[in-house]
Amino acid sequence: MARRKISGKADLVRGTLDMLILKTLSLEPLHGLGVSKRIDQISGGVFTVKPGSLFPALHRLEQEGWVRGTWGESENKRRAKFYELTPDGRRRLGEERASWGQAVRAITKVLEAT
Amino acid sequence: MWTGMWFSVACKRIVGTLRSILRKEDLDLELDTELRSYLDLVADEKMLGGMSRDDAYRQARIELGGVEQVKEKVRDRRVGARLDVLLQDLHYAGRDLRKNVGFTVVAVTILAVGIGATTALFSNVHSVLVRGVGYPEADRLVILRKSFDGRNSGPLSRLDYYDFRDSSETLEDIASFATYGLGAVLSDGPTPERIRVGFATWNLFSILGARPILGRGFLLSDEEVGGSNAVLISEGLWKRRFGSSSDAAGATIRIDGMARTIAGVLPGTFRFIDEADVWVLIDRDGPFDPLRDQHSVLGLGRITSSATLDQARVEMEGIAARLAKIYPDTNAGKSVSLTPLQDYMVRNVRLGLLLLMATTVLVLILACGNVAGLFLSRGERRMSEMAMRSALGASRGRLVRQLLTESLLLTSFAGILGVGIAYLLNGLILRLIPIGEIGIDRPAIHATALWFAVFISIGTGLLVGLVPALRTAGKRPAEHIWSGARSSATGRSATLRSGLVVLQVAVSIALLVASGLMIRSLANLSAAELGFDTDHLLTGNVQVQGSDYGTPEETVRFFVDLRDEIASQPGVVSAALISKLPIINPWTDWGIWPADAPPPSARDMDYAMARYVSSGYFETMGIPLIAGRDIRPSDRMGTEDVVVISESTARTLFGDEAALDRLVGIGWTERSFRIVGVVGDAKLNLVRDDANRAMYMAMAQGGASFMNLAVRTTADPESLSGQIEDIVRGRDPNALFADAVSMESVLSEDLAGFRTVIMSLALFAGLAMALTAIGLYGVLAYHVGTRRREFGIRRAVGATDGAVLGMVLGRGLSLVGIGLLAGLAVAYPGTLLVRQLLVETTPIDPLSNAGAVGFLVLVAAGACLVPALRATRTDIMQVLRTE
Repeated sequence: MARRKISGKADLVRGTLDMLILKTLSLEPLHGLGVSKRIDQISGGVFTVKPGSLFPALHRLEQEGWVRGTWGESENKRRAKFYELTPDGRRRLGEERASWGQAVRAITKVLEAT
Repeated sequence: MWTGMWFSVACKRIVGTLRSILRKEDLDLELDTELRSYLDLVADEKMLGGMSRDDAYRQARIELGGVEQVKEKVRDRRVGARLDVLLQDLHYAGRDLRKNVGFTVVAVTILAVGIGATTALFSNVHSVLVRGVGYPEADRLVILRKSFDGRNSGPLSRLDYYDFRDSSETLEDIASFATYGLGAVLSDGPTPERIRVGFATWNLFSILGARPILGRGFLLSDEEVGGSNAVLISEGLWKRRFGSSSDAAGATIRIDGMARTIAGVLPGTFRFIDEADVWVLIDRDGPFDPLRDQHSVLGLGRITSSATLDQARVEMEGIAARLAKIYPDTNAGKSVSLTPLQDYMVRNVRLGLLLLMATTVLVLILACGNVAGLFLSRGERRMSEMAMRSALGASRGRLVRQLLTESLLLTSFAGILGVGIAYLLNGLILRLIPIGEIGIDRPAIHATALWFAVFISIGTGLLVGLVPALRTAGKRPAEHIWSGARSSATGRSATLRSGLVVLQVAVSIALLVASGLMIRSLANLSAAELGFDTDHLLTGNVQVQGSDYGTPEETVRFFVDLRDEIASQPGVVSAALISKLPIINPWTDWGIWPADAPPPSARDMDYAMARYVSSGYFETMGIPLIAGRDIRPSDRMGTEDVVVISESTARTLFGDEAALDRLVGIGWTERSFRIVGVVGDAKLNLVRDDANRAMYMAMAQGGASFMNLAVRTTADPESLSGQIEDIVRGRDPNALFADAVSMESVLSEDLAGFRTVIMSLALFAGLAMALTAIGLYGVLAYHVGTRRREFGIRRAVGATDGAVLGMVLGRGLSLVGIGLLAGLAVAYPGTLLVRQLLVETTPIDPLSNAGAVGFLVLVAAGACLVPALRATRTDIMQVLRTE
């Protein structure tokens, strides 16, 4: 389904959602809504992660063993599933960052070529 | 280290997959709770912002984008999700197919027949044309034949063979052989037996990689002058004559009166070009003359593993050029052509097989068309179901996948059934096509064919299911609900189905035209002008043992007396002898030239089929005498050598000048022959060929221990065979009369292979017609169904039955018309391809084309009529009541 891009918002670069989630969770354990809010907030409102992408990604990461979900209580006393980074997840984040950095450097080089 | 990591990841995957399947319900429950808590959290925030509780939850749900859709997406991304979905799809598919037993049975049956036939034929095509001959590394085996200036392929000269064998480096080894079904008499034991003899050099069997099952193979030393006189016998003969006793090795048998020692027994699976009971060494005493312009043996070579066919060909040209310099008289322009053994052996069945294969594939496509049509109309009926599923969160991809699973499940059943059918059909095809006779193992359905069946089952599943699935699942649920029952959607899929029908009509007409052409050409063949009269003509052969007769004259006297006695029998009109009968014993051509000039070089030589005949041959065969006289009993050894030539031979040698009384040189006889007669041309080699140039010499001036008998009878020819056998035995107890058969049945057998192809083609064309008629009927029936209300109203306001009938028929027949045009356009180049099989029929044969079109239109009209009649019976009240 084609969605018109709202000005000031960018589509997530393909394949980077996992990395963003892992990075967000590396700061502190969060529940689903927390993750999407944090990404929105850190990116200055540029990236919005819809639940339709967020939950599939979270569950996938959990199955891969990179994050671990535990049921806890939210700030307003609601039961919620909190996700935290596992050691495997931390390693994975490192890998993703490295390859992302490589890609960015390469793209920059191409763009700056005269 | 990498493998270790890969292993641990793989393990995790497997565990994850198992967990998500086994613990699916737990996971789903947890997901449900998680999403509810998400909604709570979002709604809490909205309520803090001052929204009412209901509004907050409504807004939260909108932002979430559908709880069920999100759940479905999570499930899709789970490890092992695919397997899970597949199991689910299979479950749904099985349920749906079970619910629609009628649909399933019809579709499976149609497809199973198509898949079965295609698999069986594929297995044959693969065995014969791809896998081929069963010798080790057979792809390196080549047949060597001579060529003059690149044409006139035929046997090699024996002397040339030695030169090529000794000089070639790209060919490991070259053997020579001759297996023209040469006969001999095996004379020990209680009764003499006629056997087939193959001649070969000692190395033929080592090149072919054939090992004897008893005793030893030929050795080089067997071939030396005064060698061991060894022969190899077939397993069949070993069983018949020796009861499979191991004493056979080293035993002596008498062949044509000459003692031979059995060196070994070849396995029953061994077969090479023609069947032979006994293999004799060519170089000791084969019937082959040692002259460079006599060509009577074929070569078999094995290319070395480091050389290619092209390299070998280049080398052959080089050796040939050298020989041409050394022997300019005989070898100018002469070379050796290499043909892969495989191609040489399958040359007669290749075209027929490929034609059948192409036809079967077309029929399979037709069957796919019908089943796809069935799926399309079923898809229409399932629109609501699909819309419902879509609303409940199923993505479009998921729906397409599910529908495809259904069609794949269906074609898998059809594939399994089809393999069974293929086994049945394989037996049938083997009986129809003389594959065993060309020296190739009889094909069985093997692994490759089964893989092929799997492949086409999946292929047809996709073909049949993809378009209907995309069509059905493509609709947005809301659209479907708005559009009410059926209208816009049905329009497009009706167009699709109509397209399928047009395709089917096109394929059918192409097949019909092709089979019509073939049938016409068969009719032409049966009535073909052979140049002799086949009616009431008995043929057979008589073999005496040369050693029983002291001189050739004595042999000749036996045959002359035999002919006279047979001719005097009641029921016999006339009888004659000939060295080789037309069609039954083809080939053997010798050079012929006017004797007033020196013999031309081999490349400029005119050739004609050489035959020895007794007096009365032309009368017996019904070959007209055009000028001069017949061979007479007085033409014998010691009188002037005479020859009777055919009209076309006379024209080739002398143009418009008179041929009678001229002298000609023939072959390597080193004698001059007086032309005493000219007779009509006749087909001597192949029914499906032009008449051959021929020369007939006097039997009494040649002499042979083997002659063919032609007897013109008044009664049923084959009823006389016992009587003739008694006469032969009465005159010489060691003589054999064999292969007694009427010329009519020889000819019908000659056409049998051809007829098989035609019958199968006709069968397939019929099947194609039936499938097309079913498809057409389905489309129109559906069409009438959707327009019932319209027809009802039309009739209510006064449309006549004829008008309604015309509307429906018009629609059906216009589809047929488009298909016909397309089909005829495709059929024309197609029939050019089968032209090689056609005799005296041009591809644009108005009669068979018109017949095919007429037949198809008739059947199509029949298929349209039923739905059309139903349209005329629509009752407006009933339509309104049901809506």
